[in-house]
Formats: sequence, structure tokens, C-alpha cells
Amino acid sequence: MKRDRLTPIERFAAYHRGEPLDRLPCVPIVGNTAARVLGVKVSQFRGNGSLIAEAQVAAYHRFGYDVIRIFTDLYTQAEAMGAKVHYPEDETAYLAEPAITSANAIDSLRPANPYKDGNLPHHLAAMEQAFQAIGKEVPVTGALTGPFTTASFLIGTENLVRLMLKNPAAVHQLCEIAYQSALVYAEAILDTGCTPSLTDALCSTTVISPKQFKEFGQPYLQRLMDFIHGRGRTATLHICGKTAPIWEAMADTGADCLSLDNAADLEAAMLKVGHRVRLMGNVPPSEIMLQGAPVQVRKAVRACVRKAHHNPQGLVVASGCSLPVETPFANIDAMLDAVREIGWPVDDEPLEMELAT
Amino acid sequence: MTGQPEELFHALSDAVVGMEEDRVRELATRAVDTGIDALAAIDRGLVAGMNRAGKLFESEEYFIPELLLCSDAMYVGLDILRPHVKHDAKQIRQKVVIGVVEGDTHDIGKNLVKIMLEASGFEIVDLGRDIPAQRFVDVAVSENARVIALSTLMTTTMDAMADVIQLLQKANLRDRFKVIVGGGPISQSFADHIGADGYAAGAPAAVKLVKKLVGEAV
Repeated sequence: MKRDRLTPIERFAAYHRGEPLDRLPCVPIVGNTAARVLGVKVSQFRGNGSLIAEAQVAAYHRFGYDVIRIFTDLYTQAEAMGAKVHYPEDETAYLAEPAITSANAIDSLRPANPYKDGNLPHHLAAMEQAFQAIGKEVPVTGALTGPFTTASFLIGTENLVRLMLKNPAAVHQLCEIAYQSALVYAEAILDTGCTPSLTDALCSTTVISPKQFKEFGQPYLQRLMDFIHGRGRTATLHICGKTAPIWEAMADTGADCLSLDNAADLEAAMLKVGHRVRLMGNVPPSEIMLQGAPVQVRKAVRACVRKAHHNPQGLVVASGCSLPVETPFANIDAMLDAVREIGWPVDDEPLEMELAT
Repeated sequence: MTGQPEELFHALSDAVVGMEEDRVRELATRAVDTGIDALAAIDRGLVAGMNRAGKLFESEEYFIPELLLCSDAMYVGLDILRPHVKHDAKQIRQKVVIGVVEGDTHDIGKNLVKIMLEASGFEIVDLGRDIPAQRFVDVAVSENARVIALSTLMTTTMDAMADVIQLLQKANLRDRFKVIVGGGPISQSFADHIGADGYAAGAPAAVKLVKKLVGEAV
């Protein structure tokens, strides 16, 4: 297999300037799978920023992808504001209990202090350490959960979606607190040298309507994007599940890149918003990356490239969401290798011929 | 309102679709007071309304928030009408044991499937979330259920679905139950891989699947 000629930072810079590349950027979104690279248990990441950084840097060296993302789960901000998170010994953490159970208690919530509360200081330490170690070679981002999704962890998802229809003012009050919390955390992330990478999982139209996204999701995301841009950085927005009806609204937040789930069609997204935003996606993380074989990974990568490499703002070949912890290394290697095989410039003919067969 | 049963059924159905709990309460109470057949009011009013809401959900006019509020309205009516269903009209309903597998607490998807199955006449035993595999088996046996429905949103917990099927096999109980799986990372190929009887991509599809598996006309 061809060796990479450029570092990730050189590759993104060349892509941005429209200069020749060695290959398209490629990001299998490695989260807790990094624990497997170091041979540690996922729960050891809790309260240990140094180990998170070490694992993420080791995973980058192992696979050679294009963005490091400091991420363990989506709950860190909600946890720092009072939600209870359960940490299984060797699997991804999950929400045990929201911080509050009724709208009356929203007043009791305060934005988190990123240097004191929950696991936020450890995540910031991880970002700082990874950025110092390798930030000149590869972009290092810090996961930032969107205000609407954090709001759902603070009050419980069913409560939140019922309140959207019954008491929208309370939802805005809650989203505002979650936004204030995200804003100070975003600032702290930027101060480590990293760039925030936004995920607002619950904004998916699998869950809420496009109208509800525009009312309760988009405005808060937009304010965060404005802040990040004010600091001279660009940012990616990921929303899970179905998103086709809100692609334009997602671009309206000011996001520079949309990371799309495998439920989205990259070609349709390119036609709709590709002149405004870079697209990132969308090899199925579970069906292909976890359960598939390298040959299926290759096929899925080639389909993504065929669909969207003409995107005016560019394409990052990626998994549709964070990879499951037990994703086989061979499949992550296969993803990078498939992108290296396609190389640069991308030749449409073999890709189109595969479509015909 | 002239008190005609047909009109009342229609109004009940509209009130469920319109997410109007108070209106459902008023109409269901009127049905009881005027001696309208409670089972008919449930089937042709509440359930008909919930099925309309399910169709609006499938066509992406309604989303999860709307569907939940429709179901809230349906349950308000059910609580009022069910005690008045004539005993001989109560059919023996097929039982479905449902829950979110161990290690996961995302339960909206599970709740939607439960609501739609309930609206379709199934009796639901809801175990809740973060449920150990053995408990699905134990409860399915003790409740004499026909179907075990497993949900998860997380890739990390998918394997717990296979655990349930393996426990059933070990106990020689596999043939007694239909096992269905669903949730974000689940696919038909995963269902086939672990030997489940079926997969559905959403709540309305899950109802069709269960009806097919237990041999009811869809």
C-alpha cells in the first residue's frame, strides 16, 4: 500500500488551497476504541486525562488518520452539571439519571466550571497533553456536546421532548443554561490549543421535527459557532440519525463541516449544501465497521468517495458516527487503505464502473 | 355533539391525534356516562387515533414529541374506559415482553414500540431499561409471553441481544418465543446474524412484524 506523503495538517492545508494531495482526508472516528490500542480498560479513562491523551495519540500513530478527537462519551458536560453517569468496567459510559426531573428545578442548575466540575478538567488535561505532543502534525479536537442534547441529559429525554410542546419557555431556559456551560467549556478547549468538535445527537429528525430543530437546536449551535469563529477557528457539527430535512439549517449554524450519519445520503447532501460546507461521512459504524470485513469496508469507502468527492467544499471520508469500542483494527486499517488506494486525483471511472456491476 | 356513538368515536380519535388530554378525558367520561360500549370507544376512538398518529409519524409529519403526547392522551382515555369494558368482551391478548438490554438506558424507542403494540391490542410487559438477559427469559416464561422484544441504541450493548437468544437456546426454550430486535445500530443483517426472528426499523414497522410473527392478519 502507498505510504502517506503528507501529514494531516499539511493535507488539510493543501486541500483547502486546492493543491494536489496524496489522498483524501480520512477519519474513522475513534473514541473508546483507543483503549484497545493501549490495552487498557475503558473505565481507566475516567478521571485520567493523561491516559486518554496517551491512548488517542497511540491510536493516531497506529492507524494514521487525520483528526484526533478527545472523546469518551457525550455526557461529560451534563455530568459536570449534576447528571449521574454510570461507568461500566470496560464499555462506554451511559446516563444513569438526569440532573433534574421537572421544569420547576431548572432554576437550581448552574453552568459547569470546566476547571472544577465532573470530568471536564481531566478532558481538558487530555486535550492539552495531546495538543502539546502532536498538535503540529495532526488537528486535535475536543468533543463538545450541543446544548439541546445536554439539556436532554439534564432533564431526561422524554421530559424534554414533552416540554417542547407543553412549555417551550422552560426548554429555552434549560438550553440557555446548557449553552452557557458549553460556551465556557468551548473557551477552555480553545485555550488548550484544540478546536471544539460539536455533536448534537438529539437534534436528529429521527427524534425532533425540522421546525423544532430550528427553534431549540440551531440558535444555540449558531452562537457557539460564532464564538469559535471569533477565535479564528473552524468547527465540525455532527448530528446522528436522519438529518436530510435540516441540512440547510445545519449549514446556517455556520458550521464549516457537517459530519453525517450513515442514515444520510452524501450525494443528496452534496447537492443541497456542498457549496457551503465540507462534508464528512459516512461509512456505517456498526453494520460495516464493527460487523463487516475489510472487503466490505473498502466497498463502503469507495461508495462514499464516488458520491461526494466532487463536493465543492470538500469531503472527509469518515465513519458515520463514533466507532464502537470493539471495532476490529483490520477494518480501521482497511478504511485508510481504501482511501490510499483511491489516491489523488480521484479517478471517477473505476468507481462508476463498480456502481454498474 | 348529539351523543351518537360514531360521532364520539371520531371525536376521541381526533383528540388523540390533536394531543388533547383534557378533551379525551371529557369524551371518555361522556362515553361512560351515556353507556356507550367502552371497548368500541377504545378501538374505534383511542386506538384509531393512535394509529392515525402512527401514520403521521411514518410520513414525517409527526415526530417523537408529537407521538408521545398523542400516547399520553390515549392513556388518559384508556384509564377511564378500561374498567368499563364488559368482562366477556375481554379477549385473551397475546403478550409481549419488552425492554432495553443491559448496559443501555436509552428507552424512547422501546417506549414507542410499546405504545404502538399496546394500541394494536397486545398486552405488554415492560421491563424497563438496563435489563439483564436472564430477566427477559425468566419473565417471558413466567408471563407465558409469545414475543420478546429487545431494544438498544448503543453499539456497545448490541451483543447483549445475542445473550438473550443463547440463554433461550441453552434452556431449550428458543421455539417458545419469537425474539425481535430494534434500535439505532441494529439491522436486518445483525438480527439474522444473532438468530433473532425479526427486525423492524421503527415502531409502526414493529407492530406489523409482531403481527406477522404471531400469525395475526395485518
